[in-house]
Amino acid sequence: MSKRSLGLRLIGVAAVIMAVVVLLKLSPVPRAEDAVRAGPAPKTPWGEPDLQGIWTNNYEIPLQRPARYANKEFFTDQERAELDQQRTAIIDRQADKTRRTRGTEQDVSGAYNQAIFVTHKHVGRRTSLIVDPPDGRIPPLTPEAQKRRDAIRQFQLALLQATDTCKNKLPGCAGGKYGPPSPRRTEAPPYYLATGAMGGGSINRADGPEDRTLGERCMGAILPDFGGLAGFFPQIVQSPGTVSIFYDTGQGQGWQRVIPLTARPHLPSHVRQWWGDSRGHWEGNTLVVDVTNFTPKTDFQGSRENLHLVERWTRLDANTLEYAVTIEDATTWTRPWTVKLELNKQSDQANRVYKEPRCHEGNFGMTALLAGTRAEERAFAAGRGPDPATLCSAGCGGFAAGFADSGEESNPLTN
Amino acid sequence: MQNRFIASLIVVAIAAAVVTAVVTVRLTRPGQAAAATAARTIDGKPDFSGIWQALNEAHWDLQAHEARPAAVTQRGVYPYDYVQVPAAPVLALGAAGGVPGSVGVVEGDGQIPYTPEAAAIKKENSEHWIDRDPELKCYLPGIPRAMYMPYPFQIVQGTNKIQMAFPFTSTARTIHLDQVEGPPDDTYMGHSVGRWEGDTLVVDVTGFNGKNWFDRAGNFHSDALHLVERFTPITRDAIHYEVTIEDPKVFTRPWKISMPLYRRLEPNAQLLEYRCMEFVEEFLWGNLRKQQLVKRWEGETMIVDITRKVPPADKLHDWYRR
Repeated sequence: MSKRSLGLRLIGVAAVIMAVVVLLKLSPVPRAEDAVRAGPAPKTPWGEPDLQGIWTNNYEIPLQRPARYANKEFFTDQERAELDQQRTAIIDRQADKTRRTRGTEQDVSGAYNQAIFVTHKHVGRRTSLIVDPPDGRIPPLTPEAQKRRDAIRQFQLALLQATDTCKNKLPGCAGGKYGPPSPRRTEAPPYYLATGAMGGGSINRADGPEDRTLGERCMGAILPDFGGLAGFFPQIVQSPGTVSIFYDTGQGQGWQRVIPLTARPHLPSHVRQWWGDSRGHWEGNTLVVDVTNFTPKTDFQGSRENLHLVERWTRLDANTLEYAVTIEDATTWTRPWTVKLELNKQSDQANRVYKEPRCHEGNFGMTALLAGTRAEERAFAAGRGPDPATLCSAGCGGFAAGFADSGEESNPLTN
Repeated sequence: MQNRFIASLIVVAIAAAVVTAVVTVRLTRPGQAAAATAARTIDGKPDFSGIWQALNEAHWDLQAHEARPAAVTQRGVYPYDYVQVPAAPVLALGAAGGVPGSVGVVEGDGQIPYTPEAAAIKKENSEHWIDRDPELKCYLPGIPRAMYMPYPFQIVQGTNKIQMAFPFTSTARTIHLDQVEGPPDDTYMGHSVGRWEGDTLVVDVTGFNGKNWFDRAGNFHSDALHLVERFTPITRDAIHYEVTIEDPKVFTRPWKISMPLYRRLEPNAQLLEYRCMEFVEEFLWGNLRKQQLVKRWEGETMIVDITRKVPPADKLHDWYRR
C-alpha cells in the first residue's frame, strides 16, 4: 500500500476519533451530589413550568444495567467509589501499554484503547438509565428486528472477511470467518446505514459518503438523546405556547428543535423527518411531547420510521430537570420501554453551549477517507499495493465500532 | 356641566394629539413607531415569538438588480454583456431557474462601500458563485444572511434568552439578554447580545469567523464584522428589521440594510427540517466516489451535460409540424 494513501485514510479516521478525545477532556467536573439542595421548581412569568436553561447529565449511568447488578436498582456508595476507581485506572493507563503498534491499521482504525470511550464523569446512583422494564434492559427484539440486525451484521462480516481483522480473529470479526474478498463488496447494504452497531454502523467500505456512518457524515444527532459518550448540553428557551431546545451534541452535530404546544394532529404520515414531528402539551408541571413521523434513514437502537416517543420533561427543583421517555416500536421491540435521565442545571453565564454545529463545515475527514481509498484502489490497479478488499478502515479492532467490549481495558459500566 | 364639557374637550384634544403624534411618527419614520397593536409579553415588551419570514430578493442580492435568466449565465449568441442565457447547471430548469429582480435592501444610495481591494474580491465572488458561495455547501449561513434566506424561521422569546431557529442546516442563534461570557472561539453565527431600547430590540453581534457571505451575489465580509440589529414591531404581524454593518477590513464606512419580516399566518405553520448536509454530499464529494454519479468529473471540476427534452408540443406547434 502506498504510504500516502494509508496516511490520508488514517487522517480521516483519526480526525473523527481525536475529536472524541478532546471533548472528553472538556467534560464537566461533577459536583458533590449532595451539594446544596436547590430551591423549588420555578414558573415562567406567564405561569408555565419554567424548563429554561442549559442542562446536562453530571453523572455517568449506563443505559442498560450490567448483568452482574441484576435486580439491583441502585449502586451502594462503595460500589460507586470502586467503579470510579476502575474507570480512572482505564483512563490513566499509559497509552503505550495498550495502544497497538503505531502507524498500523490496528492502531488507528477503530482500535483505540478503551480510555477514549470512558467519560470523566463520576458514576451516578442508578445502575441503569432504563427504569422500565424493571430489569433495566432493552426489551428483546422482535423476530423481524432480529432479522434486520442479522442482515446488517452478515453484510459487515462479508466486507471484513478478507482483512487481518478476520485473519487474526479480532473481536470485530466475531461471528465471521477469514476468506477471499466477498462478492458482496459491490452490493448496497441491506438498509440505509445509520449510527451505532444496531443501525448498521460502520462497514468496511468507502465507495462514497453514504458508506460511512451518519456520525462521520456529521448527521449523527438523533432523538432520543441521552448524551452518550461525548456528552450533550440541551439549551431550553420557552415562550407561551412553544418550547425550543438547542441540542449541543455529538461534537458539533447539534441541532435546533422547536416543540409546538398544540393539540393539532401530527404532520401527514408521508412527511418524514430525521427528528420526527413533535407535539407538546402540559400535564400539571410536566411537558409531555409526542414524537412520530421519523424517517427510515434514522436509527435509534434498531428502530427507524416506526419509532414513537412520549417524552416527559419535569423540573424537579431549581437545579434538576427530569427527562423520561417511553420508547415504542412494535416492529422492533416486544414491549415499550422507558428511560429516565436526570439533567443538572449549568451556569447561564458560562456560555456552555460552547460549539455551534459546525462538524460539516470542517469535515475534511470525509474528504481524506474517500480520497485515501481511491488512492489505494489506483495503487492496486497499478500493481503497487494490496487489494483494497484486504484493508480495513472501519470495524477493524473491536471497541470503537461497538462490536465487543471485553478484556482488561473493558469499561465496567458497559461490558 | 361646564366642567364635564371642558373635560370632554381635554379628552378629545389629548386623543387628537396622540393620533397626530402616532401618524406623524409613522409618516416620518416608517416602521420605527411601536405599533399599539404589537403583541406584548407579560412584562410589556414587544413579543416577537412566532414564525417569520423575509419576503424579498435580498438572498439573491442585497442591492438593486434586474431579473436575469438564471443564477449562472453565459453569453448568448450576441456578443453583448447584457444578453445572457442560462448556463448548463440550471438550463434545464427553464423559467423556474431565473433570478427575480429587486429594488434592493441597502439604505441610502444603495451602494455597498467596499474598499477597492474588497470590491475586486466581490466581483470575483460573483463570477465564481457556484465554487465559492458557502450556502451551496450547506454551511452555517451566518448573520444577517440567515434572517432573509427564503425559508421561514421561528423566534422563541424566553425570559433571559431569545432563541431563533432556522430550518436551513437545522441551526440556531441565541440572543443573550443577560450577562454571558463571550464564545470560546470565533463563530459562523456570531455572538449576539441584546437589550431593549423602548420597543426596539437592539442586538450587538460580534465574534464572527469571516467565512460567511451576505447573499448569492458574492457580497462578503471578514472576521472583523460587527452588526447592530434593530427589531421594531410595525404591527402584530410585521417587524421592521434593520442592520448596521461595520467591517473596517472590507468596508470604508458603516452601512445599513433594512426590510420587514412578516409573520407566517397559516394556522398550521410550523418549521420543517431542511437538513441540507445530506443534499450536498454529491456536490462536495461526488468526484471521490468509486462509481461516479455525474459522468464527467475532470479532476475536481464537475462537467454537467444537460439532457433536456423539447417540451411536449402544444396544439399550435403540432399544427405547424403537420
